[in-house]
Amino acid sequence: MDIISQLQEQVNSIAAITFNAFGTLQRDAPPVQLSPNYPEPPATTTATDDATAFPEQPKQLSADLVKAAKQFDALVAALPLSEGGEEAQLKRIAELQVENDTIGQELQKQLEAAEKELKQVQELFGEAADNCLNMKKPE
Amino acid sequence: MATATYPPPPPYYRLYKDYSENPSSAPEPPPPVEGTYVCFGGNYTTEDVLPSLEEQGVPQLYPKDSNVDYKKELRSLNRELQLHILELADVLVERPSQYAKRIGEISSIFKNLHHLLNSLRPHQARATLIHIMELQIQQRKQAVEDIKRRREEAQRLLKDAFVTLDGQ
Repeated sequence: MDIISQLQEQVNSIAAITFNAFGTLQRDAPPVQLSPNYPEPPATTTATDDATAFPEQPKQLSADLVKAAKQFDALVAALPLSEGGEEAQLKRIAELQVENDTIGQELQKQLEAAEKELKQVQELFGEAADNCLNMKKPE
Repeated sequence: MATATYPPPPPYYRLYKDYSENPSSAPEPPPPVEGTYVCFGGNYTTEDVLPSLEEQGVPQLYPKDSNVDYKKELRSLNRELQLHILELADVLVERPSQYAKRIGEISSIFKNLHHLLNSLRPHQARATLIHIMELQIQQRKQAVEDIKRRREEAQRLLKDAFVTLDGQ
């Protein structure tokens, strides 16, 4: 895939990691006490499972995010943006067109000369073959 | 399974009755559409141009005026994006009701990023064209060399043949 499409894919995946991260964290967060008037929220029901995996989720998700951002920077660094300017490119295209034309004409010339020679050789060969046939009398 | 009959052919087929005898007696096909046209209720234009950000109502976060340094701007937009994501995380913890503004800013950063990448496409197209032309020139040069070589080879063989024939 070309580099610009890779960059676009990387941007989209950064967005996906972001919203997935926030969504997962919001979904899996254990309840928190809002104000001292209300009692403590019951910390039962799968508290053990959450307690082991939960604090690691933000770490993993943020590590993913940072990795994706670094990858984006690496891709940006790999952009082959030589020759600043549209005019430079257009000039180069015009030069290449001229060179392409001249070499096309030379190719055409060589081709015609080669075909002429081929025809000559074929005629000569035909004459030689006829002579051979004529000279070789059947016994 | 309900089936429907095919729609009838357009009524102007009668104008082409004598087409086989006299091709110019029938009307010409319509000329290609230029400018904007309406198709199935949507407006389309025949000019392929990347609409600028202001037209889409998105603030432009990188400096304008031709020959933007793409790498630098892409990198700084990436930084801004990371900062805004962190801010969003903070806002969600401290003042959860103010998330909308932050999300608006993050989405405008994404739109800027995509717009920058899209504006690189014409550059890429020209670079591809240059690459293809260079390849073609190289192939033609190779072909010229091959033909020259073969012709010289053929000449040499003919000369040898003459020499052997004369020698007999």
